[in-house]
Parts: sequence; C-alpha cells; structure tokens
Amino acid sequence: MTTAVHTQGFGKVKPRRRGLAAMLTHHAFRRLTQIGVLIFIVFIAVRHQLVGENGATITASWEAYCPMGGLETLYKFIVTGGKFVSHAHLSNVVVLGAALAVALLARNAFCGWICPFGFIQDTVGSFSAFVQKRAPMLRRAVKTLKTKAARLALLDRYLRFLKYGVLAWTVLGAAAYGFMVFRDFDPWAALWNLLELSLAGGTLVLAVVLIASLFVERPWCRYACPLGAATGLVSLLSPIYLKREANACRECAICTKACPMGLPVHTATTIKSADCVGCLECVDECPREGALELKLGVPVFGN
Amino acid sequence: MRVNPFIYGILILALFFGVIGGAKAAGVWSVSGKLTASGEKVAPTGANVDEIKGWMTLDEIAAAYKTPVAEILAAFDLPADTPGAAQIKSLESPTFSTANLRAWLRARLGQ
Repeated sequence: MTTAVHTQGFGKVKPRRRGLAAMLTHHAFRRLTQIGVLIFIVFIAVRHQLVGENGATITASWEAYCPMGGLETLYKFIVTGGKFVSHAHLSNVVVLGAALAVALLARNAFCGWICPFGFIQDTVGSFSAFVQKRAPMLRRAVKTLKTKAARLALLDRYLRFLKYGVLAWTVLGAAAYGFMVFRDFDPWAALWNLLELSLAGGTLVLAVVLIASLFVERPWCRYACPLGAATGLVSLLSPIYLKREANACRECAICTKACPMGLPVHTATTIKSADCVGCLECVDECPREGALELKLGVPVFGN
Repeated sequence: MRVNPFIYGILILALFFGVIGGAKAAGVWSVSGKLTASGEKVAPTGANVDEIKGWMTLDEIAAAYKTPVAEILAAFDLPADTPGAAQIKSLESPTFSTANLRAWLRARLGQ
C-alpha cells in the first residue's frame, strides 16, 4: 500500500511503504544476514569453549572463520607453499578469498553485510540513537559535541589513512616475525578472549571502539580495520558503484547523514570510495525516486 | 545499468558462501591443525620437528622429544614458572615462536 506521490521539480518522492512492504526491505535483508553470521560465530565460539582445547572432539574455534587470520598468514602461506602462522588454518585463507571476491565484484560489501564486528558497531550506534531520541538533554549534548567535532573534519580525512598503516603493520609484521603481531591488539579477538576471561591490549582497543561507537558510526571500520583497508582497496576495481543523479536530487543530505562511514554522498556524482561498505543505507533513506541508485558499469572509469 | 538492491544482496551472499562452499567441496578446507585430512587426531611423535604445531603444549613437546620443559624455558628466556600445559602459540613473542622452537630442537637433536 502506498500514499500519494507528488513531485516538486526534482525526482518523484518515493511512495511510503506500509505493512509487509515496509519490512521487506534490503535494509532488513542486510540486518538478517549480519545477525545470522553473528549467531553462527557465537555458536562456534561457545561450542569451542564448552568442549575445550583438548576434548575428545576437536571443534573449530571462532578464529578459524576469520578472514583477518587469512590476511596475517597470507605471506607465510604463499612463500612456504601452504604453511600457516599460529592460530591460522586453511579456512582463514578461504574466507579471506571469499571476502576479496565480494570486494572485487560487489564493492566492500563484506564489511557492510557480513562482518559481525561491523554489525556490533552498528548496533551500539543504533542504541545510542535510540537513547538520544528519548533523552533530549543527551541529544543536545551529543549534537553540541558533534558540532564542535565538525571543525575536525580534516582530521577525520587524514585519520582514515591510519587503517592502511595498520594493514601494513599486520601483514609485514606477521611476515617478519612469523606470528600474528596484530592479534594482541585486535578488538574482535579481545571480544572472544573475554569468554576465556583473558585480557590483552585488544581489550582496551575494544573498549575504546565500543565507547566511540556511541558518538561516531563504525569508528573501527573508518579508521583502523586492516581487513577493511585490504578489501576496500580491492573494491576500487568493482564494476558496481553508487550514482547520484543531480537532476533528481534535492541535496537534502539525508543520504550523507545515513552513511555509517561518513561519506559525503549528497555532493558526489559517483560513490566509488574504498570506504563505501555497500550497506545501501543512503539508497534506503533517499526520499527521491532515481536520485541515488546502485549501478553496474565499467570498473574504475565507468560513470 | 541499474542494480536492484535485493539482487545486490543475493550476489554478495552467493559470492561469499559460494567461494567457501566451492573450497569445501574441493577439499580445500581445514578448521583445525589438530586433525589430519582423514580426520584422525594429530599428536607429536618425536620423529620430526616439522610436525610441531602452535597448539601443542610444552609438556607434549617435552615428552615427545625427551627434552625437559625447564630446558626449553631457559633456552628462550621464558619465565621458569610457565606451566607445562601452556600452548606454544600462547607464548609467542619476537624471540619465541613455533619456528624458533623447531629450529632449536632440530639443532639440539641433530635432525
């Protein structure tokens, strides 16, 4: 069922979805996928914890399904013809291959659709928005904070390069020392180590990321994730991208506000950034028909 | 050409799980170094240091290669009170790793 559609000189206003149609969105599809992956990883981690390392049955640990492990063991895997650094298995290399295949053909969608740590940050951000809606004082405080932080936009731009440094450290460190140098600082690993009541440097990083997620969407993905940096670079070759039609767009900036990676969607013509996680929140939120669409074209040069 | 967001979502899942499923079907998949390709449990035998894995404990290595745990700890300046049940991978540092232990044992045993 839809409400009346009217035009105001730009693209038609999208009809408002109601009932079942309002629930059957790609946003819901994405959330269900993220929840499904997280439930699977929780099941694997809890089962492994209950069975133990030296039980009669050998169970996979959560790490066996992490593409970060593939990234960290990649050098050793290639130069030794199939050996791994500790904590990594063949499954890590395969899952990394799967994430890179997605990046190559469908942008950096592993981060937006599959990565459970991205989903956790999304959830913390949504919780923050929920609380702010119901607590006007908090909302005003956060708004003031964000207004002041807006002056640091340049800092945000440069901080985004940090993840490429972390990527280099992760890959080259593992290659030089033969073990996972990043693991002790990995917030995702720290989260599961909490199950074993074990604390490392990553626990502090995890705490910082979760607290920052209350104010900035996906801070780990924006600034520090080495896996997102790698898949983001590969995604630059993807034939799929977002296109903003200037004729249909009112530049209301709703898309920019909806972008969890803080990309300036409403001023761009095409969105091919390595930071775009393909979540399509901008497309979902855009009120105009045809103003923002997902396109298939020539990689790199197509517009 | 416009891409429907639902088709995009299906493409992502098909690609991701397709690569993993394809690798599993081709036998290119292993989630634990504790099992052989035929599903049997792996244990150190003392025959070849290359069999040593990060998940093995100091006690297992000591028993298989007839080398006291204290000697291993001393050789790598690890704390003397490190439990023998500790896995090698949990002790890794720039000066101690599975590869370092293999090399040290190889030299010690003359393998």
